[in-house]
Amino acid sequence: MSSVIESPRGTCVLGGVNAVLSAIRRVCPIYHSGPGCCMQTTAGESGQAGLRGPFYLSAVSTPCSNMLEREVVFGGEQKLRDEIDGSIEIIEADAYFVLTGCTAGIIGDDIASVTREYSSQGIPVYPILTPGFAGDSLLGYETAFEALLDFVVDKEPKRQSDLVNLIGVVPYHDPHWEGTLEELTRILRKLGLRVNTFFSEGQGIEHVKSSSSAALNIIVSTHLLKKTAERYEEEFGVPSLRFPALPIGATLTSQFVRAVGEKLGLDKKLVESVVNEEETYVYHYYESIIGGLSWKRFAVVADGSAAVGITRFLADDFGFTPVVTIVSEPIFRDSDRERIEAGIRTLEFGNPPDIFFLPDHYDIRSKLKEYDGVTLLVGSSLEEEVALELDIQCHVMSYPVSDRLVLNRTYSGYRGALTIVEDLFNNL
Amino acid sequence: MARTYSGIRETRPYTYNDLGGGSVPISEDFEKQCLKLADRSFSQGLQCQQINSISALVSLEESVFVIHSPQGCSGCVTGAADGYRVGQAHRGVKLIKSPRVIISNLDQNDIIMGGEAKLREAVALAEKRYAPKMIFIFTSCASGIIGDDVDAIAADIQPGVNAKLVPIHCDGFKSKVCASGFDAAFIAIQKYLLPQEPQPREKGLVNLFAPTSISYKDQREIERMLGLLEVKVNYIPFYSSYEKIQKITTAEASTSICKVFADEFMKELDETYGIPYAHTVMPIGVRNTDKWFLGIAELIGKGDLARGYIEKEHARVLPQLEGIKKRLQGKRVFICGGTGRSFAAAALIDDFGMELVGLETPTYDLDAQIDVEYLNGIHKNYVIDVANMQPFEQVNLVNKLKPDLFIGVPTWSARFGIPTTHVLDPKRATMGYDGILYLGNKIADQIEHPGFNRKLAPYARLPYKKSWYEKDAFQFIKEVK
Repeated sequence: MSSVIESPRGTCVLGGVNAVLSAIRRVCPIYHSGPGCCMQTTAGESGQAGLRGPFYLSAVSTPCSNMLEREVVFGGEQKLRDEIDGSIEIIEADAYFVLTGCTAGIIGDDIASVTREYSSQGIPVYPILTPGFAGDSLLGYETAFEALLDFVVDKEPKRQSDLVNLIGVVPYHDPHWEGTLEELTRILRKLGLRVNTFFSEGQGIEHVKSSSSAALNIIVSTHLLKKTAERYEEEFGVPSLRFPALPIGATLTSQFVRAVGEKLGLDKKLVESVVNEEETYVYHYYESIIGGLSWKRFAVVADGSAAVGITRFLADDFGFTPVVTIVSEPIFRDSDRERIEAGIRTLEFGNPPDIFFLPDHYDIRSKLKEYDGVTLLVGSSLEEEVALELDIQCHVMSYPVSDRLVLNRTYSGYRGALTIVEDLFNNL
Repeated sequence: MARTYSGIRETRPYTYNDLGGGSVPISEDFEKQCLKLADRSFSQGLQCQQINSISALVSLEESVFVIHSPQGCSGCVTGAADGYRVGQAHRGVKLIKSPRVIISNLDQNDIIMGGEAKLREAVALAEKRYAPKMIFIFTSCASGIIGDDVDAIAADIQPGVNAKLVPIHCDGFKSKVCASGFDAAFIAIQKYLLPQEPQPREKGLVNLFAPTSISYKDQREIERMLGLLEVKVNYIPFYSSYEKIQKITTAEASTSICKVFADEFMKELDETYGIPYAHTVMPIGVRNTDKWFLGIAELIGKGDLARGYIEKEHARVLPQLEGIKKRLQGKRVFICGGTGRSFAAAALIDDFGMELVGLETPTYDLDAQIDVEYLNGIHKNYVIDVANMQPFEQVNLVNKLKPDLFIGVPTWSARFGIPTTHVLDPKRATMGYDGILYLGNKIADQIEHPGFNRKLAPYARLPYKKSWYEKDAFQFIKEVK
């Protein structure tokens, strides 16, 4: 169920699925939709995530049946067949996914029958039902994982004890996804692990396939991929570890490292030596900027995982005062809401901030205006307006990020703990 | 306007959107009316008309924009909103605002039961939160297919709200030409915001219609030039307001900066309100700037003033072009752009003695024919690809033609390692006579500094099979029976 909303952060299921597919090497999405969906979904996801365009197929390079009135009235299945034929003829891909827009969804084209004509001949063409009215882009992220489990993941896995899947960080919807996956992969490798992320370092279909052989799913998210975790466990015996925060800063990252070590039964001495080495690296730099950042009373507007990570880092590692944290993504399950609240409340020092769940942009702006004395607002590009009105420092860290480029930048992990401090410095 | 024109561009006579081949045979076939209607059996995604309707209006003051759709149809409005914020910064606004956009957020239930309740709720929120003068309601594929009667709902709500409600029919599936969305916006403005009878004229007032991509610097330059004709400019619709929209019907004349922007609307203003208009070209390059400026000047009886200015500017600018020509003479160019800008760029490169080898433009119609005949007089038989982007055709052609320069969105052609540039610039004037010098130097500079593309090329990953580059770029364009 969705509600009327002002300036939503994210697009539809189609946009979420497409963002995932566009981040996997050599995968070809084929839109069975009206014209426009390819641009709307790309502009609204990667276009709002530090302005990077997916390099392979995105926006107007995405194959699309561009359904018009004729298809709406008479059905578009033949048009879709032609579109698939053309895609196979000219586009180099390890898998083709047919995605539906509202148009195909409402008129009820049977895309699964059409794709079966190809998959039954061994051509990797698969259907994903993604009409925009079915939900938002985060549902799309989860839907994409369901489809990968249905069609791609190896059904007869051979357990590999040093292989883990690092998931939960949403491509583009988390603007720093690629840098975050790279940094967490770097850290996990120090523990002797091999890491499937599906999306970073040019990973592709073969990494999705081998994910059923992993020893562990590490889900870095307060609430996403619940069903995916259950399916990996039930179908392939792959257990999951949920780390309910973006590991921003040394404290959270060390908690992350220890949690993985414990779950996999890794050598404690190895785990502690990694923690020590990395924390030493961070504090070497922190020692050189003592007093460099003036004290702040801060507000946070971010999705669940980032809200927990940013609030905890700024309060516990940096000594700033949390005032209000607003979770700006719609959270549907009470248990998820409670987990996020608990994550934000669990501070080592001082009082926790007030916590609100407000996806509507007007509600967010109005709530922030109720707080006097906030001197730093960490949020998205949408929050810059209210920061100007309140005349306070605004740092754009959460989606949508529309006014700065983001390449491999991350605020997560040990290296991210340095970047975040560099970026928060403001001598105005 | 709605009485005589549906707002769907492909319903206009002799309009082709799927076409490819040599420029000479195409223009000859068009002349003989031998071109066949065609469609692509394989295509890449198009821009929909809703994107254009929203982006045309999103910088209007005192407005709330209600999108009657699922959440995804707000994807591009975020991009248009960035443009609006940057535009405010360029105009010296300190407290930069975002546009107020409310999505009715249709879901599965609404698709079955109808979206009326949510549309009413969205309009009520708009009124309560912002008390705007105008609430624009944009339809979508979803609202259109399920048959929500947005006009009737708006009419029913109207007495209870202070804002003028303006429903805009821009369902994506209704047109493959995104410029239809501009027409849809103007049809709605005429129907819901303008007085229906001719109004008293304001002396010297001229409507200047400009599309989204016009920078503030270009706006200033064009307004300055019109000022030389002793007119006041009503710049519509960007950074405009309810009051400025009302003034449209009091103008003495209209003109547009782009061939496909407000052309039908200007026709309507002429027919209903007796406001004459000049429909020419985009003022980029010497020929087009002359043509555009003379077009509006002659219309308001200031032809002599304009000719005097043009003569003076030619004397100042043409000698300076010689230096640029030396750097660019004979370079082979492939151009891809929107309807207005692609032809403007094609005319521009003639100022620098460059050779056109390929031209990609979204629509071929009577207007395009005029430009193509002119270009055929200068260049050899270059390739025309009538396509709204379709990068698979573009890379095929660029790879075969191996131009020295690509002008347009560089995302794909840059990966061949050739220099790329654009005749768009957000921070400098590209229009008018100084714009010619700026663009000429920009093009020459970019050709002389190809390092980024050159070094990227060996690592680039275009998604097409090797075999595609050997095939006919237009093999998927098939006659519609």
